[in-house]
Amino acid sequence: MNDFRKITPGGRPFTRIYLNVMLWFVGRAIQAAARQDPAVKREFAQLPEGFTFTLTAAPDGPSMVVSKDETGRVTYLGRRPANHPLNVKLTLKHMEGLFLLFTFRESTATATARDRLYVEGSLAEACAVVRILDIVQVYLLPKPVARLAVKRYPRWSFKRHAWDRTLVLLRTVLGV
Amino acid sequence: MRLPDYYEYCCRVKIVAGHEVLEEIPALLARLHAGRPMIITDPGVAAAGLLDVVTGALKDRIAIGAVADAVPPDSDLQAVSRLARVYGEKGCDAIIAVGGGSVMDTAKGVNVLVSEGGEDLLAFTGAGALKKRLKPLVAVPTTAGTGSEVTLVAVIADHENNRKIPFTSYFLLPDVAVVDSRMTLTLPDSITAQTAMDALCHAVEAYTCLAKNPVSDACALEAISLIAGNLLQVVENPGHRDGRLALATAATLAGMAFSNAMVGMVHTLGHSVGAVCRVPHGTCMAILLPYGLEYNMHKNGDEAGELLYALAGEAEFIRTPRDQRAQQTVARIRALNQALHEATGARHPRTLGEVRDRDGKALVPRGKLADIARVAQGDASIFYNPEELDVDDLLMVLEAAWAGLPLDPQRIKRG
Ligand SMILES: [Fe+2]
Repeated sequence: MNDFRKITPGGRPFTRIYLNVMLWFVGRAIQAAARQDPAVKREFAQLPEGFTFTLTAAPDGPSMVVSKDETGRVTYLGRRPANHPLNVKLTLKHMEGLFLLFTFRESTATATARDRLYVEGSLAEACAVVRILDIVQVYLLPKPVARLAVKRYPRWSFKRHAWDRTLVLLRTVLGV
Repeated sequence: MRLPDYYEYCCRVKIVAGHEVLEEIPALLARLHAGRPMIITDPGVAAAGLLDVVTGALKDRIAIGAVADAVPPDSDLQAVSRLARVYGEKGCDAIIAVGGGSVMDTAKGVNVLVSEGGEDLLAFTGAGALKKRLKPLVAVPTTAGTGSEVTLVAVIADHENNRKIPFTSYFLLPDVAVVDSRMTLTLPDSITAQTAMDALCHAVEAYTCLAKNPVSDACALEAISLIAGNLLQVVENPGHRDGRLALATAATLAGMAFSNAMVGMVHTLGHSVGAVCRVPHGTCMAILLPYGLEYNMHKNGDEAGELLYALAGEAEFIRTPRDQRAQQTVARIRALNQALHEATGARHPRTLGEVRDRDGKALVPRGKLADIARVAQGDASIFYNPEELDVDDLLMVLEAAWAGLPLDPQRIKRG
């Protein structure tokens, strides 16, 4: 019977750690941008109270959850808070899909076009979440990288590029 | 042609097409081990005499368990549950859906309940909710446009909560699409034009948007050349059987293309004009198609240019310099709309401002364009559009389409 080799999946620990770090950053950056950036503020203002969304990979990949409470305050809730009802769930088909997304080799649009990204919940709200993610990526990433992550690199004012970006990055790190 | 690094394609529907193919349905059902179908259709189809054509072709060959001919145009969860009960009471074992997109959606919903059991369709929303084959479903399209006979989506209204619920599953695909030219032979000229332009949009957007792939491209190109070669002749000569079959085949091919490659901003805007102003889908498609191509041209001009061959033929393709082909594709589509406008006695509108209801009242007041742009931001087809569209971009395109002016290239933002 020794002719038949068994292969046990490795689980890709490095990928998992990398993605957990990236998702932590993006989650905190969404929270920061929601307090600093007018466009992200506007997007969240139009979402219902208690709105909660997650970005994750199937079957049980890394994830992040962001929520807006009754007062309109947006908070990164961590990786997987128990029994929080979700309005929108964005799921990458597998961890490699999420890895492509967060190594900026595929944009959300490309991931969707390649059937890697599934949306559950309200599609209109999911569109808003993707717009928020796009803005946050422009804040976090240097221009040449952000260009790959969004369809059209936006033309922002100097103030938004310099001042708001500094504050968003500071708030992301400090969590305020 | 550039190949994508990765693509998926799936369409497992048997297609049976021709001038007299309804007669094949009993044998097709027998092969699926069914012999007592329920027919689901709407009052319009019945009034046009098409239900009689179907029952006439079937009645000596197979027992029909029940005929449901009152599906409302905007059918909802209640209608689906009611039909599912009738299916059970009458001992049916298959469904024949005869109609356009709404009838197909209803039949797909009914099929979920009669196959999975229960009363509540909402239990089957969400990815992966359906896990096994449903009852045999035969789709007989009566318009050459939506392509729902080969799509895996059903949209069912929930009138109580004022929302529309999308269901998506490969199990929703019909088993057989029966495309019979008799079903579209009596369509009025303006409906023929609208629905064919919807199919043209499916093919053009599938070919030029982000999820394009070689399999859907092949379907899209053939659909475009069939529509370009037959639409005007059929509008001018409605009884043209071969032309009717060509358009019906094109709609099915376009459905095979866009159900996998999806659609972009023409549908994003079209869905929203339809939702806000109740304009028929095909009318929106015809008006908006040139704008979708113009807006994205700096990103997908090569693909748009390739379409000129299918639209206008070899001679014109060769005559047009490569860098002008995308523009010529747009010009060709505008010319087709103009020709349809003339051939239908002006019942095929060319601009959003020209769209009227039966009493001649304008359906899209200019003041509504901002609302339409806002609604469009929440339409998921926007994901598949090559270029980004913010609310100002959407409004800029709507204003041009309202007035019938080409897009000003200066106002199209580039990254
Ligand atoms: Fe359509």
